Amino acid sequence: MLYVKNLNLQAGDFKVPDTSFDVKKGEYYFLLGESGSGKSLILEAIAGIQKIKSGEVWVNNLNITHLPMHQRRVGLVFQSLALFPHLTVMDNMAFPLQRRGIKWPQVEKEVVQMAQRLSIAHVLKRKPGTLSGGEHQRVALARTLIMKPDMLLLDEPLSSLDILLKEEMVELLRELHQQGQTILHVTHDYRVVGSLANRISIIQKGLVLQTGTPQEIASNPKCKLASRLVV
Amino acid sequence: MNHRLNRFSILFMLAGGLVLLFVIAPLVGLFLQTSGVSIVKTLHDHEVTHSILLTLTTAMGATLIFSLGIIPLAWLMAHHQFRGKRIIHGLIDLPVVIPHTAAGIALLSVFSDHSLLGSGASFLGLSFVGTSAGIVIAMAFVSLPFLFNAARDSFESVDKRLEHAAMNLGASQMQTFFRVSLPLAKNGIISGMIMMFARGMSEFGAVVIIAYYPMITPVMIFDRFASFGLEASRPIALIFIVIALAVFVLIRLITRKSFAVR
Repeated sequence: MLYVKNLNLQAGDFKVPDTSFDVKKGEYYFLLGESGSGKSLILEAIAGIQKIKSGEVWVNNLNITHLPMHQRRVGLVFQSLALFPHLTVMDNMAFPLQRRGIKWPQVEKEVVQMAQRLSIAHVLKRKPGTLSGGEHQRVALARTLIMKPDMLLLDEPLSSLDILLKEEMVELLRELHQQGQTILHVTHDYRVVGSLANRISIIQKGLVLQTGTPQEIASNPKCKLASRLVV
Repeated sequence: MNHRLNRFSILFMLAGGLVLLFVIAPLVGLFLQTSGVSIVKTLHDHEVTHSILLTLTTAMGATLIFSLGIIPLAWLMAHHQFRGKRIIHGLIDLPVVIPHTAAGIALLSVFSDHSLLGSGASFLGLSFVGTSAGIVIAMAFVSLPFLFNAARDSFESVDKRLEHAAMNLGASQMQTFFRVSLPLAKNGIISGMIMMFARGMSEFGAVVIIAYYPMITPVMIFDRFASFGLEASRPIALIFIVIALAVFVLIRLITRKSFAVR
């Protein structure tokens, strides 16, 4: 599904040297690392935001390393969520469908269906500035899911949520995964990883230290962060 | 915050008040010294009304036509780092620092009928000397830094992650510009366009060199003053100031209503 091969990145003085990993179809994969470990940089490189120095990114047997951002079909939910403040929730969610030239009645139908699925139908006419933290999160997720991405990339999607909303979102992500969505999730929060992950890569200073299932990593941790993993 | 007046506040209020008085006094003086009869008479002078209309339309034309190039340039400058970027910034700001009569001479050397560009244009039936087209380019030359700087600042203030999100959601660069960058930067851009329009409308130096005729109002005020004295030019000045203020306020009101941040 996703194959990251010998990826080399540089952002200012920070480097991601020669990183490789692969995510299988239908897998829930975590990149777990502390702040500043380069995990978000890797995610941005997959999405095409970050320039790749060398290496390759493959999705569904297609080399997307040099594809423009809008042709990659990998849906990224940003840590800041990046909802368009000037558009209503409806227009935010319609955005990716309209870009593909889908006509309005069909767009509206799909938006309403997705909004019902993620329990945000009641906020469709509102602007992002008026939403609660949980609603914000769901809208950002819905806007990405509606484009039916081959791969869902999540950049610390739970970091700004309180404990109740976090539990709610974890359940939602579990549900999405069970419905077959392939997910690459970047986080520093080792507490949410164990119950969701099929496999995990522990990242430190841009290097993959250890890869395995939660059980494999917990039974043979190779760093402090891995030893804290709750399975 | 403590709003009690102390010596410091009083001193600053006095200094600021003097500046305000300096701006307001000439305007008040103009109003007080101009008779109602002369205003009515001037309003019936077709040369004056035609001149005011010409000034407004050429300033609007300069703003709208040149914004088609200024806005993309401002976006480029806000989004890209490249060698020579500072030089371009300096070049764009040049019209602010050079005397406008000198700007008029410079424009004339490029757009006169004897120059390469001017002769090429006249071959196509377009002349810049002594025409509305000449007024438009003179107004645009001196006023474009106002729109450029406002637009560049507005584009810079748009969160880059929103633009990245748009492209990640399948929008091309062009779609991202029109659906995300431009709507989010529009308030600053509109302010810049209003400033460009206002500055263009009040231009004298560059216009008088390239097109004394047809007469825009600032040139007409000078012409009447030089030919017939203060009494003849004062009512035109007063009417032009009132119209300029009215247009300025009207545009502000319309744009604030239509483009208010929601």
